[in-house]
Amino acid sequence: MSRARIGIAALVVIALIAAPAVLPGTYYTYLAIIVFIYGIVAIGLNILAGYAGQLSLGHAALMAVGAYTTALLSKALAPVPFFTATGLHIWLGIVVGTVAAALFGALLAIPALRVRGPYLAMVTIAFGWVIFKILQEWSSFTGGDLGISGVPKPRIASLTLIIKQYYYVVLAMFIIALAAQYRLVTSQFGLRLRAMKYSEIGVASVGVNVFRVKVAVFTLSAAFAGLGGALFAHQQNYISPDNFQFFSSVFFLLAVLFGGAGTLLGPIIGAAVLTLLPEMLHDFDTYRLIVYGVFILITLYLLPNGVMGALEGRGRKTLTDRPAGASAEVAPRWIAKAEGAMLEVRNISRSFGGLQALRNVSVQIAPGSVHALIGPNGAGKTTLINILTGFYQADSGEVAMDGAVLHLRSLSDAALAGIARTFQTIKLFGDLAVLDHVMVGFARHSQVGILGALVGGSRLRSEAERHAADARQLIQFVGLHQFENAPASQLAYGHRRLVEIARALALRPKVLLLDEPAAGLVAQEIEALADVIRRLRDCGVTILLVEHHMDLIVSVSDRITVLDYGEVIAEGSPAAIQKDPRVVTAYLGKSLAAA
Amino acid sequence: MYFFLQVALSGIATGAIYGLIAVGYSLTFLTTRILNFALGMWVMLGGMLTLSLVVRLGINPAISLVVVLAAMTLLGLVAERVSVFPFLRAGSDVWVMSTLAVGFLLIDFAEIIWGRTPAKVPGFLSNQPVRLGPIAMLPQQVAILVVAAIVFVALDLFFRRTLLGKAFRAVAHSGEVSTLMGINVRRIQAGSFAGACALAGLAGFMVVPLTLAEPQMGTVLGLKAFAIAIIAGLAAPRGILLCGLGYGALEGLISGYFYTGIRDILGFSLMIVVLYFKPEGLFGHPQEERA
Repeated sequence: MSRARIGIAALVVIALIAAPAVLPGTYYTYLAIIVFIYGIVAIGLNILAGYAGQLSLGHAALMAVGAYTTALLSKALAPVPFFTATGLHIWLGIVVGTVAAALFGALLAIPALRVRGPYLAMVTIAFGWVIFKILQEWSSFTGGDLGISGVPKPRIASLTLIIKQYYYVVLAMFIIALAAQYRLVTSQFGLRLRAMKYSEIGVASVGVNVFRVKVAVFTLSAAFAGLGGALFAHQQNYISPDNFQFFSSVFFLLAVLFGGAGTLLGPIIGAAVLTLLPEMLHDFDTYRLIVYGVFILITLYLLPNGVMGALEGRGRKTLTDRPAGASAEVAPRWIAKAEGAMLEVRNISRSFGGLQALRNVSVQIAPGSVHALIGPNGAGKTTLINILTGFYQADSGEVAMDGAVLHLRSLSDAALAGIARTFQTIKLFGDLAVLDHVMVGFARHSQVGILGALVGGSRLRSEAERHAADARQLIQFVGLHQFENAPASQLAYGHRRLVEIARALALRPKVLLLDEPAAGLVAQEIEALADVIRRLRDCGVTILLVEHHMDLIVSVSDRITVLDYGEVIAEGSPAAIQKDPRVVTAYLGKSLAAA
Repeated sequence: MYFFLQVALSGIATGAIYGLIAVGYSLTFLTTRILNFALGMWVMLGGMLTLSLVVRLGINPAISLVVVLAAMTLLGLVAERVSVFPFLRAGSDVWVMSTLAVGFLLIDFAEIIWGRTPAKVPGFLSNQPVRLGPIAMLPQQVAILVVAAIVFVALDLFFRRTLLGKAFRAVAHSGEVSTLMGINVRRIQAGSFAGACALAGLAGFMVVPLTLAEPQMGTVLGLKAFAIAIIAGLAAPRGILLCGLGYGALEGLISGYFYTGIRDILGFSLMIVVLYFKPEGLFGHPQEERA
C-alpha cells in the first residue's frame, strides 16, 4: 500500500472510532452498526461470488443460522451462574453461531459443487427457502413466526454494553473481516479462487483440487454471514424469520454487485449505500421502492461494474505503455534440471457410444524427448491427451510413468503425478495478469491453504516471493516478460498460448502435453513456439506434442506417432514418417497417394 | 386412492401456472443468457390489471385478457429496452440487478395504484365444481389446465414449424451466426423478453381468481416457477410443463397427506437433491467445460 493510502485508511479509522462520541443520539450509531454487520455479510458473499464466481442467493439463511444459534444458546446458558457472572455466554454464542453457519456453508457446498450459473443460484435459493420455512414452522424450537425475543444483551462481566459501546465490538469485527478478505484475495490461495471463476479446468490442470477449494470458500463465506447474523441478534435483542427472508439474500447480492464484485471495498460501499438510502427515503415512504429501483438503474447505466469496479478500471494501464524487453536465453532455475519421465501408453481403448475413439493404442515416449502425435481430425489425438491427464478414463489399458502405473481419475491427479498440459481451446483466467496465471501454476508446490492465507506470517510471504521470482523467469523463458503485468485477456492469441505453456511449466512437470499449440498462430509466432519447445527439451522435459502443423513437427520432434481412426498406423523418425505410404494415404487419400 | 387423486389434481392447476411462468425464464435465457429475475412481479402486474379491468371496470374477461396481454407485451418491450438491452454487451451479471430494480418499481407502482389490501377477483367461470366421478375440480382450475396445454402446444409448434420460431432457436444457439444468416437478433431478443412478460401476464390473469390480488402475490409464484425452470432444465420447454404439473401435484399431495407448512421444506429439499444428481436439470443436457 502506498503511503497516501495508509494515511487515508488511518484517517477513516480515526473517524470511525470517534463517530459515536460525535454523532448525536443513538440513531446514527445504530445505523452504523447495521452497516458494519451487513458489510461483514457482504464481504463474505464478495469472496464467494465476486472473487470465486459462485453466485449465492442464500446468504440470509446462513446469517439466520448464526443469529438463531447464538440467540438460543446464549439464552439457554444465561441462568448458569458462571455465565451470569461473566457474560461469556454471549461471546460463546457468537463464536458457536459463526461456526454453525460455517458448517451449514460446507453442507451447502456439496450440492453447489455440481451445478453452475443459474442452477447454482437455484440451489442456494432453495437452501435459503428451506431454512426460512424451517424457522417459521418449527415453532417449538425457533419460536415460529414470532421469533425469539429477549436475546441477551451483549455484556462484559456485569457491564452491559450500551449501543455506543457495542459499536466498537462490531467495528472491530468489521475491520477484522475486511483485513481477512484482503489477506485472502492477495494470497496465492486467493489467486486460485479468482482463477477458478474463469476456468475450473484451467486450475485443475495445475493440480488444484477444485472440490476442496470450493468447499473451503463456501465455508469461509458462510462463517462471515454467520458472524454477521450473530452480531445482529445481540444488537436487535429480537429476531424473527422476517429478518432473513429471500429478499435479504437478494439485498446482499445487490450490495456486492452495486459496490463492485471482486473488489476489496465494493461490498462495503454497496452495503452502506443500499442500507442508508432507504433510511434517507423515510420521508417519502410510498415512493421508496421506486426511488430505490430508479437509483439502481441509473447507477448501473453509469457504472456497470459497480462503484469500485469503475474506480479500479480507470486506474488500469493498457498494454501500450509497457516497455519491451530483450528475450532471454537463460533456462529458468525452476525447470533447468527437469527430470523428464518416460511415459508409456499401454493398450488404451476408449469409445464414446458407438464410436471407437481409441483402439488398443500403445505409445512409448522416451524421457527428455519431443514426441509428436499426429493424425487427421477425429483420429483420437485429443482423446488420448484427455486420458493421459485424467480428464477421461480409458475403457481398458493403462498409463505408466517410469514403469509405475498411474491411476488418473481427474485433471488434478495427473498434475500431481507431474503431467502438465495445455489446451486446444485456451483455458486462461480472464483478466488476471500474466504473472498471476503463472503463480496459480505453482499451486502444487505451495504450502498455502485457506488458513495459511488468513493467518500465515513470514513463511507465507517468502514463499510468495520465491514463486514470483520463479514465475518471472518462466515468463521470460517463453518471451513474455514485457507483458508480465498485463491482463492475459488483452494479449494476442499467440501470446496467450505461451501463457498457457508458462503456467504448465510452473507445475515443474515431468511430462508436458501440448494440444495443438500452433493452431491459429502466424508463422512468426510458430517459430517462437518451436524455439520454446526446443529449449524445453534442452532442459530435460519430456514433451508430447499434438499438432497438425507439419513444419513445426518436423523441426522439433525426435519421434512421431501417427493415429488414424483411433489406431496407431505408423511410428518412427520424422524422416521415415514423411515417406511412410500409410501415412500419406491417411492424410491424402488412396487415389492421390497412388498418383 | 380417490383422496390421492383428488389432492394431486388440486395441485396440478397451480403447477400449470408455475409452468406458464417458468417457460418465460427459459425464453429469455435461451436467446440472451439473461433471466428476468422479477418475472413474479410481472405475474402480479397481470393479476392487478385483471382486477382493474374485470372487477373495477366490469369489462368482459375475454376482452380483458386481450388487453392484459397487449399491455404486458408493450411494457415488456419498454422494460427490455431500459433494463436489459443496455447491459447485454457488458457480459456481466448486471442484469440480475437491473431486472430486479424494475421489479421493485412494479411493486411500488402497484402499491400506489391498487393499494396494499388484498382484493378478491371472482372466477370468470361458475363456482360449481366439475365432477368426474368422486373427484371434483373447480372450472377455473380446469380452464388453467386447458390454457396451459394450448399455450405449450402452440409454443412447441411455433418453435418447430414456423420460420420465426426457427429464428428464435437459431439465436438461442448462436447470436453471431444468426446475425450472419440475416436474422434480426435484436428483435428476437426483445421479443423473447416481451413474450415472457406476456406469458407472466397470462399466468396472472388465470391465477388471480384462485388467490387474492395484491402487490406481493407474484413473489413466491415467480420463485417457484424459477425453481421449476431450473429443475426441468432451462433449455427444455416441454420438460418445464411436465415438471410444473408434477411439482404442483407433489405440492397437493404433501398438503393433503401432511400439512401445508411442511410443503416447501420438502419440495425445495427435493429440488436440491434432484440438482445434485442431475446438475443440468431433469431434461437438460450436460454443458460442461470441455478440454
